[in-house]
Amino acid sequence: MISGKHTNVIFIILPLLIVLLFLINLWYGSVVINWIDVWDTLIFSGNANQSSQIIILQYRLPQAITAMSVGIGLSISGLLLQTTFSNPLAGPSVLGISAGASLGVAIMVLLGGAVGLELSGALLILEDLSIVLAAFAGAIVVLLIIIFVSGKVGNAVTILIIGIMIGYLVSAIVGTMQFFSSAEDLHAFILWGLGSFSKTSVVQSISILVITLVVMVATLAFVKPLNAMLLGQQYAVSSGFNVKLLQSVFILISGFLIALGTAFTGPIAFIGLAVPHIARTVFRTSNHRILLPAVVLIGAALTLGCNFISKLPGYDASLPINAVTSIVGAPIVIWVIIKGRRMSNG
Amino acid sequence: MDNSKLNSPENIKTQLTSDNQLLRIENLRIGYNLSGSKIVSLHNNINITVAEGEFIAMLGPNGAGKSTLLKSLTAIIPSLSGNIYYGGKDLNNLSRKEIAKLVAVVLTDKIADRYLTAYDIVGTGRYPYGSFTGNLTSLDKEKIVDAFTVVGAEELTNRVYYSLSDGEKQKIMLARAIAQDTPLILLDEPTAYIDSPGKVIIMNLLNDLVLKHNKTILLTTHDTELALNYATRLWLLGKENYFEEGNPADMINSGLINKLFDREGVVFNKNNRRFEIKN
Repeated sequence: MISGKHTNVIFIILPLLIVLLFLINLWYGSVVINWIDVWDTLIFSGNANQSSQIIILQYRLPQAITAMSVGIGLSISGLLLQTTFSNPLAGPSVLGISAGASLGVAIMVLLGGAVGLELSGALLILEDLSIVLAAFAGAIVVLLIIIFVSGKVGNAVTILIIGIMIGYLVSAIVGTMQFFSSAEDLHAFILWGLGSFSKTSVVQSISILVITLVVMVATLAFVKPLNAMLLGQQYAVSSGFNVKLLQSVFILISGFLIALGTAFTGPIAFIGLAVPHIARTVFRTSNHRILLPAVVLIGAALTLGCNFISKLPGYDASLPINAVTSIVGAPIVIWVIIKGRRMSNG
Repeated sequence: MDNSKLNSPENIKTQLTSDNQLLRIENLRIGYNLSGSKIVSLHNNINITVAEGEFIAMLGPNGAGKSTLLKSLTAIIPSLSGNIYYGGKDLNNLSRKEIAKLVAVVLTDKIADRYLTAYDIVGTGRYPYGSFTGNLTSLDKEKIVDAFTVVGAEELTNRVYYSLSDGEKQKIMLARAIAQDTPLILLDEPTAYIDSPGKVIIMNLLNDLVLKHNKTILLTTHDTELALNYATRLWLLGKENYFEEGNPADMINSGLINKLFDREGVVFNKNNRRFEIKN
């Protein structure tokens, strides 16, 4: 554990970092907008260049808000899953929930394409929305299966293994559908799978943010049971908690956040897995009273940072966000684990 | 409303003091309910009471159901049938939180977390009480400090639990149980994995809890010779529903200890209270 003073300093630095990264995301892109226009747009002074204002308000602002919100959501879900399953490798991808989302999208895009359900023109917006709904439905169906299983089984390791197996099963079905689909539909599906924060409207992005923040506040009520679960299921029961029920609640909360994020952005790799590890190493604690706010702030900062990196090539060609989060996330996890191990041994 | 007040742990604690009986076990059947309808029953019919201030050691070979009984008494695992009463209140009618205010446990489970401090861990003992948010009240903090003092581990307070020795870890888990402020503490093999002086320190601590802090102790152990020096009562558990209880001296004299641990070539010497090779 580090001193309270040290903790407070980091808790002041992180929000500043988020604000900075947020502004950088508004400023930088295929067109670099000067800082004065960014500022004028944000305070609605009316002095900003017209096109800059449109670029910021209609494209970069929702993109940044979505990135931040999904980063927060995935990080919370990663933390909840790692604690619930006492497993440092647990994360949004393990329970098959994001695979469920991709099954929903696959059915929509690949099967829909095969039966000639092509939408065009004005209906394209509807198609975007229907992909969101399909992803959400797919994720929720898998989530409900997992909740049902966890109600029956209770043993965390068994639930985890069943979740991983459901993930494989769903991926196999998606793979089979890909094999039989047309090149054009396949292309659309793969694009979705690479993930993107730029497909949301202003209203959608703010909705995601608000819902995520509401869930975040609700999660703060579970600090005590989450800490108790760090001692293992039996000690948690002896501390007066209904562990079986709590497991289902935590799977439900994290599953909902994963479904929400994946529906709008496609599956985003590594954030949910990496951020809780970063938070534990930075704050040197497992106490959820500190970890929960920590993953929220680090998740938001890391995702904004990744979104900025994805725009670095300039022009219209931004890197797929999933590649960036993996390239950034994987080394961080390795570094954090090696560093954490050395420090706790030494 | 009135009914819920009657059931409150505080009320049960008062009732316990009045009739001195802490725990009553009636027709208890313990074991495991495996998947489907397959039931593994370890004991069919346990009937026994625990009085306040007892120091009970449960002895018996591996697989006799000692840990299962311990965990059944706290509803960590459900009992198969029968009743467990805390001061007249059926365990089945108590909420998890109420149970947690009546009985604390020290288990053999390892804690894998690498960051929690000893203070964090002992702090979880206060979770049945206090605020919703996990903030510790001043009473909580007082109880935690007291618990560290009782087990003599003040200097470990801010150490990372993971970095402690097995003996130190056991002291911290005991401090957690003390902080939980329950009349009864159950311990599953508290002296396992601990060196010989450490075993004596733990048993002395438990003895102090009974004598100076009004606690009642029920533990399982394989350190039979050590347990005989401290326990005020023994429960002997064996396979096939074997269950005997009595005070240590009687059980040694009647040869029950010898019978329970009957192995080829080993006998229990009644005079020096040690297991010896039969000559």
